[in-house]
Amino acid sequence: MKATRTIKNAATYTGLILLAVFLMAPFVWMLFVSLHESKSPIPSMNVWTQRGTFGFLGREYAWVLPEVVPNVWHWDNYRFVLFMPDIPVFRFFLNSVFVTLVVVTGQLLVSSLAAYAFARLEFKGRDPIFVLFLLSMMFAGPVTQIPVYLIVRSFGWLNTYAALIVPGLSSAFNVFLFRQFFASIPKELEEAARIDGAGDLRIYWRVMLPLSKAALATAGAFSFFAVWTDFFWPLLATNSMEMRTLEVGLSVFRNSYGATNWPLQMTAAVIVMAPLLIAFLFTQRYFTRGVMIGSIK
Amino acid sequence: MRRRHGVGYWFIAPATLHLVLFALVPIVYALYLSLFKWDILKDDKPFVAFANYLTTFQDKFFWNAMWNSTRYTLVSVPVGMAVALLVALLVHQKIRGVTLFRTLYYIPAISSGVAVAMLWTYVYLPEQGLINATLKLFGHPGDLNFLNESAWAMWALVFMSVWTGLGPRMVLFLAGLVAIPNSLYEAADLDGSTRWRTFWKITLPMLVPTTFFVLVTSTISAFQIFTPVYMMTKGEPDRTTDVVGYHIYSEAWEKFHVGLASAKSFVLLVAILGVAYFQYRAMRDQLREYDAS
Amino acid sequence: MRTLVRLVILSTLIGLCGCAEIVGDGRTVLRIASWGGAGADDEFAKIEREILDEFERQNPDIDLRMEYIPGSQEYVRKMLLNTIAKAEPDLCLLDASSAAVFIENDVLMDLAPLIAKDPEFRLDDYWPNVVDIARRGEKLYAIPKDFTPMVMYFNKRLFDEKSVPYPKEGWTFEEFLTTARRLTDPAKGQYGFKFANWMPGWIMWFWNNGGDVLSPDGARATGTLDRAENAETLAFLKRMIKEEKVAPDLSQTASMGVDLFTNGQAAMEINGHWAMVGYRSAPKDAQGRPKLAMEDVGVVSLPTNVGKSVTVMYEAGWAIGRHCRHPEAAWRFVKYMTGPTVQERYARSGLAISARKDVANELAKDSREATFVAIVPSARPPWGAKVGAYNPVEAIGQNMMNSVLTGSKTIDQALKDAASEIDEEFGKQ
Repeated sequence: MKATRTIKNAATYTGLILLAVFLMAPFVWMLFVSLHESKSPIPSMNVWTQRGTFGFLGREYAWVLPEVVPNVWHWDNYRFVLFMPDIPVFRFFLNSVFVTLVVVTGQLLVSSLAAYAFARLEFKGRDPIFVLFLLSMMFAGPVTQIPVYLIVRSFGWLNTYAALIVPGLSSAFNVFLFRQFFASIPKELEEAARIDGAGDLRIYWRVMLPLSKAALATAGAFSFFAVWTDFFWPLLATNSMEMRTLEVGLSVFRNSYGATNWPLQMTAAVIVMAPLLIAFLFTQRYFTRGVMIGSIK
Repeated sequence: MRRRHGVGYWFIAPATLHLVLFALVPIVYALYLSLFKWDILKDDKPFVAFANYLTTFQDKFFWNAMWNSTRYTLVSVPVGMAVALLVALLVHQKIRGVTLFRTLYYIPAISSGVAVAMLWTYVYLPEQGLINATLKLFGHPGDLNFLNESAWAMWALVFMSVWTGLGPRMVLFLAGLVAIPNSLYEAADLDGSTRWRTFWKITLPMLVPTTFFVLVTSTISAFQIFTPVYMMTKGEPDRTTDVVGYHIYSEAWEKFHVGLASAKSFVLLVAILGVAYFQYRAMRDQLREYDAS
Repeated sequence: MRTLVRLVILSTLIGLCGCAEIVGDGRTVLRIASWGGAGADDEFAKIEREILDEFERQNPDIDLRMEYIPGSQEYVRKMLLNTIAKAEPDLCLLDASSAAVFIENDVLMDLAPLIAKDPEFRLDDYWPNVVDIARRGEKLYAIPKDFTPMVMYFNKRLFDEKSVPYPKEGWTFEEFLTTARRLTDPAKGQYGFKFANWMPGWIMWFWNNGGDVLSPDGARATGTLDRAENAETLAFLKRMIKEEKVAPDLSQTASMGVDLFTNGQAAMEINGHWAMVGYRSAPKDAQGRPKLAMEDVGVVSLPTNVGKSVTVMYEAGWAIGRHCRHPEAAWRFVKYMTGPTVQERYARSGLAISARKDVANELAKDSREATFVAIVPSARPPWGAKVGAYNPVEAIGQNMMNSVLTGSKTIDQALKDAASEIDEEFGKQ
């Protein structure tokens, strides 16, 4: 019995590790290439170069590494990209942080409020309105960009934070997600609160939301990454350098360096991704544990 | 269960106001545009009634794009979901270090669009690319030009979507798995049910709402896939990756025929609606069963 | 929940700091759209910054707000959208390749009245065929800043190593191919030629074989694109890459990830004057010597089968938006940017040839620059300067080239399909 469990665990871990290697390999490569000398060719993975020798049992051995591991680590690539004379990368970063935090918070509140009503309250037109939310998700983006742009313009919001924030404050996807989640919460829990005289707002805030940490974390993470990496809307809605977000600001790199400077391209890519990664690593505990807390026994 | 009417309206007011302003009005406006020969800057924007729709139906490149989106969706969604469910089951086990793996598996999904495009352009490079270099280790010549050959390009995009889509889908399935009451499993254990049987009789049925959610949203976003195509293939080679989202984009923004692009968006909308309805019909019974339980 | 509340407060604080910086200070604000903003060479970006600062020093009443838009596709799209919303910048850089879209759609202000009123400004100072790109009858929509013909660059060191004579004006396609063949050395990973697979970089091959993409009036492609001359051109290019292998094919180019010419791995390439900026910062070899030395860079006109070599002229000029609120201030900026002082600084940076005859001729004392200046009269404007609907043509043309090079279509089929697609596209206008 114990032996089979050990074998099974070993198999599970092997699977988990292989999958992790498969998923992580491109990132590791990206990091390595970003540290190669600017303008150097794409380093090969199959060419092994000698990096030095070591003595072992009285004999000299050479040790080799694939060419992809840089010989000299060019951290100056990062300095070069971060402090380009006419790209205020740090400003881009602050813009991205501010916009993303406000949009995510707004989206979670607005969407979950509506979702609560769709899941639990009864009112005339509830289902048709919900269907409207669903339908809006199915409409292809490129065309509504023009009307949305004109609407934002008519409010005089172009090139302001309002233009970057307000159109993202609610998301039909999240309304859908929260509704599905709220629907799976047993009604007994809120019935108890209702008997204690709690109103809907109180039930929403004190019962539903605390029970929905998993959904909040999930939806929050989804929106965080969606907003952080949005490219077209910030490009359209802002004009000046000071209002650009990181994704738009650094996309310049793809255009300037094309396919001929992989090291700097990858440096830029790492710079855009690093904050995402850090934000994720800080929230992931809440995120993965949140799933657990959300379980209703 | 009776509730006071009216409260609900207050709850949905902010979201609905937002929906009206940033989704419904633009859609209605787009519908209006679709009836005009509306080129971005031309002062003359004549009313053409349904001519744009007629053009759409006769446009062989539009149908080519619809077909591309269909085959992209038909492969990427089931494969992506199956892989995600499998991984979710794997990391749902109570074993040491499992949260570390959950974290790692999510990382591909948090990469920015520009960075991912740069990265995967490399992964698919002939000779030096990650895949070809790996193939070379096994004696393959490693000369597959994934993004430039008609036979490969679409599947390269599908493969990439499975990679980037794994995290979110896994988390959704995981949330679904966690929500299944332990008592059900305990009861099954008492009945002496095999793991396989438990999976089919308890896990899957309890995952129906999650599966439905993942299926519908994945299908919709698969049908609208745009960024990877825009960044990596531009619909090439030979229009084999010219998916409908990109096709509509280029109609509006490269050729500036906004009226025609709007008409195409509505045809796409009807198609997506049809598919979503079909999915709903197919899963309706299971969803009902779940609601009843 | 508390975390959420804290985040909101934090965000609002950051937001307040951000907003405070955007308030103006009473000076006339000129919004200026330009592409780039992150040149491959930070030396060049520095010069540009200095030039703009100098303008603000000389004109204390004006506040310049640069709006850099990444990517040429995004530039056109964003500018058009700005225009329908009447939110376009006061000034913009006009690219010859997309000039027609802007001019035909009335985005720009006619500069002729401003020129007439200004005794200091003399249009004769500029190359006439460059000025004409943005001219429509009496109206003029941009003052040229700089321009470049596309030329053939060659690496003299690689020619000397193989004892191949330098190419001469008036060489034919076959002479070019023979030269490239002798310079190709698979053992060293060296190619005779680097083929730039983008339409603005290869359309001249068509012209130099007596063909073209559109009919002379720019109205249709059928009857022009599908002619035998063009089939010959495509067959030649395909043979060069696929059979003779004197130029790397698409996947080989991609898999190297470096610029072959600046890396000393290709002996020739077709490019504009801007390429010199990159040549100056060519990567270095193990001994610290540049892989492409500036003194080794030679320039010659493109090979031709029709006697007289033709090339394309890419140009950028300063234009004022039609709804500009401060035309006088904007005009001061245009004059400054296209005037002799600024032009000389730009020209010395090597990005392009000054559109001013005085500055260009001064620099042409250098023999390489002289070759460029000699090529100018044979350069014609790109189709995008004349045809407003040219944008989709480039996408269709590129599709055509790719399907020929990958062999997924026969040459005749590819030409015929592309021609009918372009006409269908024009028909929708």
